[in-house]
Amino acid sequence: MDFFTACVWAAGIAIGIAAFGCGIGQGMGLNGAVQGIARNPESSGKVTVTLLIGLAMIESLCIYALVVALILIYAHPQAAEIIKTVVAH
Amino acid sequence: MDIQQRMISFVIKSNWYLFVIVTLLGFINTPFKFALGILCGALLVTINFHFLRHTLYRSFKAENVLSAEPRSILNVVLVKYYIRFAISGIVIFALINRNIVEPIGLLLGLSVVVVSIMVATALELTRLIFKEAV
Repeated sequence: MDFFTACVWAAGIAIGIAAFGCGIGQGMGLNGAVQGIARNPESSGKVTVTLLIGLAMIESLCIYALVVALILIYAHPQAAEIIKTVVAH
Repeated sequence: MDIQQRMISFVIKSNWYLFVIVTLLGFINTPFKFALGILCGALLVTINFHFLRHTLYRSFKAENVLSAEPRSILNVVLVKYYIRFAISGIVIFALINRNIVEPIGLLLGLSVVVVSIMVATALELTRLIFKEAV
């Protein structure tokens, strides 16, 4: 498998795993929050704020994975050198 | 004001402060593309955070939670998350694909919210530790 094919595979798998994990994590957090508020409606404010911070952290992880995946495909820092090496061989 | 409210108001303010400071520093000290990356990343993530806050506050009002099906609230929040994520993805894709910004600058800009949450947590922790010490 050549280098660029491997990069595309890596990017696809990376963003797939990241989105899957973040979706599961957010779903679990939301599930807990909804149950907590349903049992104790007065805690709504506190739970929402804590959830907001947690979800923002989880979401940023997924965005990082997306950026790294896009860098791998479109802006690989060593792409030019690798092409030179491949052409030389 | 309790700990959560204090933290969230700090994060909301510090997001914008950090955004302005990091962007200005970027335009002064780094090449234009790198600074543009910081600006776009920080703007994207800050706006994203505000939309997330808006969605959560609307979905998690106590009366809404009690009246609606828990599954429907979950679905609404998750669907909005995926819409936001798709829009962010398209914007980031356009920025990187057309080589408008430097990817490392973009990553730096995207870290604004994470950094402000970490700073808020560190401040609250130090406050707690000093309170216990006194």
